[in-house]
Amino acid sequence: MNPDPGAPTVYFPTPTSGSTATKLLIPIAVGAGVAVALGVYGRLHEPTGIAVNVAGFSGPLTVKVWLATGAFLLAIVQVLSAIVMYGKMPGVTAPSWIGTFHRWTGRVAFLLTVPVAVHCLYAVGFQSFDTRVLIHSLVGCAFFGAFTMKMLILPKRGLPGWLLPVVGGLVFTGLVGLWLTSSLWFFETQGVKF
Amino acid sequence: MKRNGPLITLLAGLAVAAVLLTLSFTAARNARSTNAAQNDAAQVGAGAAPTASESGAATAPTSAPAEAAPLVGPVTYAGKVEGGKVQLAIAAKDGKVVAYLCDGKSVEQWLQGTAAGGEMSLTGKNEGSLTGSYGNGVVTGTVTSKGRKWTFRVPTVKPPSGLYRATANVRNATVVAGWIYVNGQQVGIMTTNAGEPREAPLLDPNSGTATLDGTTLYATAIDGTGL
Repeated sequence: MNPDPGAPTVYFPTPTSGSTATKLLIPIAVGAGVAVALGVYGRLHEPTGIAVNVAGFSGPLTVKVWLATGAFLLAIVQVLSAIVMYGKMPGVTAPSWIGTFHRWTGRVAFLLTVPVAVHCLYAVGFQSFDTRVLIHSLVGCAFFGAFTMKMLILPKRGLPGWLLPVVGGLVFTGLVGLWLTSSLWFFETQGVKF
Repeated sequence: MKRNGPLITLLAGLAVAAVLLTLSFTAARNARSTNAAQNDAAQVGAGAAPTASESGAATAPTSAPAEAAPLVGPVTYAGKVEGGKVQLAIAAKDGKVVAYLCDGKSVEQWLQGTAAGGEMSLTGKNEGSLTGSYGNGVVTGTVTSKGRKWTFRVPTVKPPSGLYRATANVRNATVVAGWIYVNGQQVGIMTTNAGEPREAPLLDPNSGTATLDGTTLYATAIDGTGL
C-alpha cells in the first residue's frame, strides 16, 4: 500500500527517474506475492464447504457461474474499449468518455470476481484432482496477482507504450481461462441453469 | 485523485473480500457449533460424562431431555470399517439417518433409520442392518450386509467429504450409484435393475457430476433425511 497517496511526487511525473525494470519491480513483486499468497491459503486452509450465499439462485455454484460469466462478458468489453481507446479500432474515433467507460466496466468486472474467489478459496480451496481443476486453481491465483500488478503499474508514468496492453492482455487471458475451466464447463455438463 | 483510482479499486476489492470472508467464517462456525452442540447432547444422552473442553458449547442443548434427543445435525461420519477395505458413510439430519457401505467393487448396502439419545439403528434391503452409538464426533457399532458383519468406528467428516448418490435412466435401465468421498479419496458402486453391481464412474464432488457412457449423472449429497 502507498504510504503517502497525497505526496507531491504522485502529481509530478518524473519520466527520467529509474529504468522500466526498476518501476516494474514493486508491481511485479506485489502481484507475484498476491498470487502465491492466495495459492498457499487455498492449499493450507481446510475447505469448509460452507460460505455465504447469494439469494435468488439455486445454489452457490450457479451464483459463481453467473458472476464469472458477467465478469467474462465485461472482460470482452474491456478489450474492445481498450482497442478503441488506443485508436486501433478501424473507422472508430475514440470518444472522450471511453477512458472512464473502460475504467468503470473494469472495476465492475473485478468486483464481480471477488465473491467468486472468496467462495473458491474459503469453501473449496486449491485443488488438483484433475487437469481442469488444477488449471483453474493455478490460473485463479495468477489472475488476481496479474490484476494487482496491473493496478499498481497504471499510475506509473514513462513506461513503454506496449506495456499496459501486454499486462492487460495477461489479465484478460487469465479471466478467459478461469471462465473456460469453470462456467463453460458447468454449462456443458449441467446445462444452463440459474 | 485520478492516479489513486487503481489503488482504490484494489482496496475496494479487498474490502469486499474481507466482508464476504467474515460472513463466510461466521456461517461455517455456526454450522460447526451446531454439530458440536449436537454431539455434546448425544454424549450426555448416552450417559457418558462430557469432557471439560466441551462444557463451553454444552450450554445450548440444556432444554433437550437426557434421553431420546434426536441427532439434529446435519452431520456426516465416514471412514473404513475395521479390518477391511470397505468404506462406510453415515449421514444424519433431524434424527433421520442414511448410511452406505461400499467397497468400490461388489459390496454395497444402503441403509436408513433413526438416531436419538446417542444410539442409531438402521435397516436396508436383504436384511442389512446397522446399529451404533454416537458421541464425541464418532460413531461406533456394527453393520451387516448379505450375511457379512463388520465393526466400525468412523469420525465426522467435512464437506466436500461425504455421501453422494445419483439415480438416472441410461439406455432404458435405471442406474443407482453411490459414492463415499473422504478427503480426496472415493469409492463408488453403481447398480442397474439388470446386472451385477460394478464400479461407479469417478465423481467430481465439487460439481456433483459423473459421466457414464456419455451420460452425465447428477449426484446429490445425502444428508440423512432420505434417499
